[in-house]
Amino acid sequence: METLTPVGRAVRVVVTLTGVALLFVTSTWGSDDHFPFAPFRMYAGENPPNEPAPDPRIDATTVDGRVIVLGQRQTGLRRAEIEAKQDAFAANPSLLCEVAKAYDERNPAGPRLAEVRYVLRLHEIQASRPTGRHTDKVLAAWPVPK
Amino acid sequence: MSKWLFESVPKGRVAIFRSLAYLFVALDLVVFTPWVKDHAHADPALYEPLWVARVLHLPTPTPLLINVIFWALLAVSLAALSNRAPRLLGWAVFALYFEWMIIAMSYGKVDHDRFAFLVALAVLPTVGAAKWGDRRPSEKAGWALRVVQIGVVATYFLASWAKLRYGGPDWMTGSVLARAILRRGTDLAHWIAPIPGALIGAQIGIMAFELASPLIFFLPQRWRLRAVAFFYSFHLVTIATITISFAPHLVAMLSFLPLERALERARSRFASGARTPSSPAPPGEPALARNEQTSE
Repeated sequence: METLTPVGRAVRVVVTLTGVALLFVTSTWGSDDHFPFAPFRMYAGENPPNEPAPDPRIDATTVDGRVIVLGQRQTGLRRAEIEAKQDAFAANPSLLCEVAKAYDERNPAGPRLAEVRYVLRLHEIQASRPTGRHTDKVLAAWPVPK
Repeated sequence: MSKWLFESVPKGRVAIFRSLAYLFVALDLVVFTPWVKDHAHADPALYEPLWVARVLHLPTPTPLLINVIFWALLAVSLAALSNRAPRLLGWAVFALYFEWMIIAMSYGKVDHDRFAFLVALAVLPTVGAAKWGDRRPSEKAGWALRVVQIGVVATYFLASWAKLRYGGPDWMTGSVLARAILRRGTDLAHWIAPIPGALIGAQIGIMAFELASPLIFFLPQRWRLRAVAFFYSFHLVTIATITISFAPHLVAMLSFLPLERALERARSRFASGARTPSSPAPPGEPALARNEQTSE
């Protein structure tokens, strides 16, 4: 039997209680900034039963006129990371150059882009259930300089 | 309370758990969250350092920094699998993985699927030497696994706390699951979604399960294992419907299981399966004892 010394026990009790206290404090007053502590707020938002579901994406028109989606595979940027900057893109569409740059770095041989857009698809929801209908809205468009 | 917190467990249990945790770190780098490495290509303007990164004055990620951490963490985690220098390698894995996660979560999106796993990496080095098959009970090992269990349960319970804080009780009758399904749902989820009451029922069930999760500590061992099986089944359903895996959390949840017994059982089965009619076990020698000898 391997037992702990009184000091070893005391240190572990203090560490445990401190950790638990930090969890409750950040759960109550904290924000995502306090990672790895709480609040554990994934899917914790207030979504009324009839509120449409936003489904944002970045798409682009290539120089030969094709429309392609610039997803995580093409840019390395996660959708949630793009979504977190939605207001910034809408206020200043030239910020989309960062997405275009990430695409160029990962796809040096890929088709060249003529325009990059932030598109917000809104899926309709009624009584907490999807209806199958949606609308698309372009919140920001940035013409890629030649 | 002190007795519960330091309830001893066989050292072999924590040795197996540790190996699985370090194996997961290596897999996480290349299989589960390979997108973290993609931040090497991200514009530094997109970097939003977390509080802990600002306090520790961690540098803005560059392609060089990200590649150095990636390869160092891969090498150290694989070395830690050997169970040698458990403190030195364990602390190195924790420090590098923590920095890796800070980089991962500093681009505007924070995930909450790995609190308990980070707790595991933080406490495993404190156990010191422990070998597979070591049956000696240890309070150090017991405390380490107990705090990982607390991390697992806190993840559930405080997730419901966050739902009440941000969404209020109306969260249960809202459209959060419909929204999740529309954004990342599988065919199965799209089949379930139109069923009247299904999603609201699921939301009420999730809230009830998360709020009740601390009760697992009051269950007898047999029922506790059943509760853990239920936890795993919950994640199986979330993977099958909205493709959220919570993989690091699932690894941390192994802290509830008598892993050494599962290993003994597997070895026993393997040994009896491998034994040929021409080489039967010596009379009177129990199969388990034979296995223990070969494992040392």
